[in-house]
Amino acid sequence: MESLNLKKITSLWIITILVLFVVAIVLGIVMRLNQGEVIKLEPLAFYTNMTTHGITMIGIWFVAGMVSVNYLMERYVKTSYSINLFAFVLTVIGVVILWTCTYIGNFSSGWTFLYPLPLKDSGSAPWATPMYLVALTILGIAWLVWSVSLMAQVLKKYSFSQLLAWQHLKSNPKVETPPFILISTVTLIGVIASLIAAVIVIVLYFAEYFSNGNFVNDALLMKNLTYFFGHTIANEMLYLGVAVIYEIFAEVSGRPKWKTTWYVALAWNCSLVFILTAFFHHLYMDFVQPEGLQIIGQLASYLASIPAVGVTVFTIILAVYRVRIKWSIVNLLFFIGVIGWVIGGLGAVIDATISNNVVLHNTLWVPAHFHTYNAMGNVLFSLAFFYWFSTQHIKILVISNQTLYTMGLLLIGGIGFLIAFYMGGADSVPRRYSTYPSGLASASYLAKIGASFAMLYLGAVLIFFYNISKRCFGILYSSPY
Amino acid sequence: MQQDSILHFFLILAAISTIVFVFVFFSSWQDDTNNEGVKNALRKRFWFILILLVSLGIFASVTIPKSPYFLFADEVPSKIIHVSAMQYAFLLSEKNIDAKNPVGESIILPSNRLVEFRVTSLDVNHGFAIYNSEMQLITQTQAMPGYVNSLRYKFDKPGKYQVLCLELCGVGHPVMQSTFKVQ
Repeated sequence: MESLNLKKITSLWIITILVLFVVAIVLGIVMRLNQGEVIKLEPLAFYTNMTTHGITMIGIWFVAGMVSVNYLMERYVKTSYSINLFAFVLTVIGVVILWTCTYIGNFSSGWTFLYPLPLKDSGSAPWATPMYLVALTILGIAWLVWSVSLMAQVLKKYSFSQLLAWQHLKSNPKVETPPFILISTVTLIGVIASLIAAVIVIVLYFAEYFSNGNFVNDALLMKNLTYFFGHTIANEMLYLGVAVIYEIFAEVSGRPKWKTTWYVALAWNCSLVFILTAFFHHLYMDFVQPEGLQIIGQLASYLASIPAVGVTVFTIILAVYRVRIKWSIVNLLFFIGVIGWVIGGLGAVIDATISNNVVLHNTLWVPAHFHTYNAMGNVLFSLAFFYWFSTQHIKILVISNQTLYTMGLLLIGGIGFLIAFYMGGADSVPRRYSTYPSGLASASYLAKIGASFAMLYLGAVLIFFYNISKRCFGILYSSPY
Repeated sequence: MQQDSILHFFLILAAISTIVFVFVFFSSWQDDTNNEGVKNALRKRFWFILILLVSLGIFASVTIPKSPYFLFADEVPSKIIHVSAMQYAFLLSEKNIDAKNPVGESIILPSNRLVEFRVTSLDVNHGFAIYNSEMQLITQTQAMPGYVNSLRYKFDKPGKYQVLCLELCGVGHPVMQSTFKVQ
């Protein structure tokens, strides 16, 4: 079972994640207020904010998934406390350096640091780009070591084929692979692959940086590598949350634990392939990319939805439909998060259609769909885990009126904030503009609406933050006796 | 406009999904102890996945041929426009643009004739997005250093068209614009 050390480090992670989440939401609201012309930032200040918002959000929700999976994996295998702590320390160091690069060095090339902009960003200090790459290297090493360590631990108990549940594709499997182990494995393979791509990008950047102009990278290769990393890690962090749902949704609902079947095994093996090839949809508007890869991008994006909806979402619907279950804040957050995941997925599949992408690419439709499955999907999965973790020994999981009001605030704020993005996308409003051209009539009006609803969302998050973190502080300062 | 249809299609699908989930949620509160979930769940799952697969197959087969790479592929463009993007301007010219001494010119294009834009970048990645006089995005490609993306389009309405950058290219990204006329 979970040791006190694991509980303490998990509490520390959760408090840190929630503090950074609140700050990053405020940065997002500041961006929308500036776009709405309510406040006025210099363009450089806007883009440093935007870069900080993006890298912080991606970082915290990735580690939130890892923290949850690490904690629950202790039910099956012993995980390394030292590596968990090592990842925490390096993540904090990495975040501090990143924020130094953005707010002191004015690094403002966006969290995806698309080549070659960081090397030609005239607004930043000369040291900001190499320092940013060093910070990413630190984070990359920390997360790679953590992911490999978890894989190594499960490999001590299961063979590789068992981890991928291949024995479930035959009749009467002798060994059962729990769904949590299967999904964690598939996700960790994707995470490791994406982090290796990030390391290659960083090495190529440094090679050019230190070559004094003798070596120039290929922009198309760098773009493919960058989006392989960026797309994959942004999707895998969602799947880390799905692994947690498979492990504890039934448990908190008072139902029998879910088992791996042949179709669950097949679905997650297919997901592994599709998720690693769907990133091509980020390059649809690069017409020099071979057409075959563009079509693979659309097909893989479509096919990725089949195991996700046909197996995972269908399983959750089956677990609830006409089944008397114990509703609590935890399974309610999971359930609503799945709706956000599905709706964000719909927006993503529409955008992943090449003939639509030509009028949606890099408009507000893009932040619309990824904020849907993050702010109303993945965040809710992680909040559910945080709630469950912080209350598992207190048993106060009933749905109170306060909980309902908080959920209502979260839903109203989230939906309003997202609709402003979707309408902006349909109105051809570009993403990543600090201010909008006067011809885009609806753009600043929608930004004001988005900012207003985002404040309601922030209000709900602050209530969750208070409730969860006060209990996590209790665990952090508890003694073994 | 295509974007309006996309938004309506999305909102309808999002509403249907939400209704299904709300219905499923309230079904779990029914005070009927005889109800213990779905019968023949595997068969229902099979049909659900089959319908999903067929629907996506139809969408893919209808939409892929409309991808910009295949549009006007067999036609010969009546005009070729060279585009060089740079922080923070677009240079458009009917002649090749010298990267060492880049110069653009004002452009007037014929309506209902095929035009090919040969788009590249002299520094970082940019977007080359064409907006009509109502500021609706009608087509786009990326401007990438070291590569030339060829974008073909037929303008059916005369008027002033605007070009915006849709790829973050630095602090001047939102002011990077250009215009051309179609008559």
